[in-house]
Amino acid sequence: MESKKEIDGAKEETASMSSSLQWSQWQLIDSILPTGGFAHSFGIEAAIQSRVILNPEDFQTYVIHVLENTGSLLLPYVCSAAMCPDLDNWRKLDRMLDATLTNEVSRKASVSQGSALMRVAAAVFTEIPSLKTMREMSLGSDIAAFHHAPVFGIVCGLLGMDSETSQRAYMFITLRDAFSAATRLNLVGPLGAAVLQHQVSIAAETMLKRWMNREVEDACQTAPLLDTLQGCHGYLFSRLFSS
Amino acid sequence: MQREMERTGKVVVEKVGGKSTVTRCFSKYPLKFIVPSKVGPCKIDSVWIYSLTYGGGIVSGDSISCEFEIGDGCTTVFTTQASTKVYKSVGSKCSAQFLEVTVGSNALLAILPDPVTCFSTARYSQKQVFRVLLDSNLVIVDWFTSGRHESGEKWDFDLYKSTNNIFLDDNQPLFLDTVLLEQQSISPINERMRDYQVIAMIILLGPKLKHIQIEVQENVKRMMSEQLHMPFSGINGRAQSNSRHFTKPPFLASCSVFGPKGIGVIVRVAAMTTESVYKFLQHQLAGMEPLIGVLPYH
Repeated sequence: MESKKEIDGAKEETASMSSSLQWSQWQLIDSILPTGGFAHSFGIEAAIQSRVILNPEDFQTYVIHVLENTGSLLLPYVCSAAMCPDLDNWRKLDRMLDATLTNEVSRKASVSQGSALMRVAAAVFTEIPSLKTMREMSLGSDIAAFHHAPVFGIVCGLLGMDSETSQRAYMFITLRDAFSAATRLNLVGPLGAAVLQHQVSIAAETMLKRWMNREVEDACQTAPLLDTLQGCHGYLFSRLFSS
Repeated sequence: MQREMERTGKVVVEKVGGKSTVTRCFSKYPLKFIVPSKVGPCKIDSVWIYSLTYGGGIVSGDSISCEFEIGDGCTTVFTTQASTKVYKSVGSKCSAQFLEVTVGSNALLAILPDPVTCFSTARYSQKQVFRVLLDSNLVIVDWFTSGRHESGEKWDFDLYKSTNNIFLDDNQPLFLDTVLLEQQSISPINERMRDYQVIAMIILLGPKLKHIQIEVQENVKRMMSEQLHMPFSGINGRAQSNSRHFTKPPFLASCSVFGPKGIGVIVRVAAMTTESVYKFLQHQLAGMEPLIGVLPYH
């Protein structure tokens, strides 16, 4: 029979762990974390140059499709990695996603962001030494491509974030980066972007509920036009973004 | 899904006397295979298999499951006689097709169908699984239209799902792709498609296709570079909403390399007319004539 003092002590420890987790969570999804997300536009730049996006309304529609595709294609990887953040599972997910991201532009963007996130997370979250060891064991040879979604899931899982929050966070950073790209491409102003982002977050939550907690074998893409457009990024004569 | 499905068809192609030969061919309702004795000039070794469905289309609840084995060194073309029509769903039933293929060493399999056309409220799902070796060759065209779009039926079906998975030996995934379009989602399908009526995917894999891969990539890059530019108003600075500078290109395509040492190339297409995609396929796959004996899509 635990004494009141023991129960209070346990509650206090849980509360302090949960507070310190919040600091880490917020740092992970803050755009100031140097993971290079700002270099990627999710095909928005190609969509503008093919006149598929002509105004902020077109952009809002487009961003919702980007979010849905993120949900259907990438959330299974975040989910699996967050629930089972060990080396074997990570390598398996990384290999599978490499075969699934058949679009060269989005594949390279994923590798670039995932590598950066792994390096940053290993350096920042030193209380989790397995991040550093997993990274070092996989560098160099062709063992791992360091795709973004599995790395993000691993970091969340090892930090102690639950699977649903990890997947919501992944949807959030996609939303964040898409709006950042739109602002830099002059589709919307910074305040307009902020207003729109808050409105879109309602749809984002609906899509999260629809697509979360699925198996990687069921990952699928739901926006073939987007995929085609994003693949055109390499044909743009003048461009601001890498993808 | 595939294990529960009864086998509807099986084809085995092997070298007999040095020539690609169909040594086993089985099909049952609703599927029928036709293997003409010769397609193309005699000096080109290839076997052509035509697939037909009784009734000219796939009826709600139909389930078709096929297996192909393409032996070492063989060349096989699998095609349809007309666009695959998927009729409306009755009682929310889904129609399904499953194809499992093994392609041997130095063999070539080309899957060159007409597009799938799903009628209003149709529910359709297809899955194609390929097991290949590093020197196997594959050409896969997988495409579908918005429906009977000339009659105004555009993106009116309920569900379309297409999976294409390619595995190297030892079950190593090389290419995993599933496209899913559902009417009951965050936005209706036509909103996602923005006036485009046809979606196509072309996979070119293997050493025998190297020259075609290079040409297609160059062609697509050249074609798209001309189409992509910032929207701008006319010379006098006034925005003209019907100016072609604001209109979307009627044909969009992009190429990506995939696989170890870039052995594969995938082309994705979004087009406003079916005709333009047939022309694109004719042009880009013309280089296959020496391999299969006939110009594809002519």
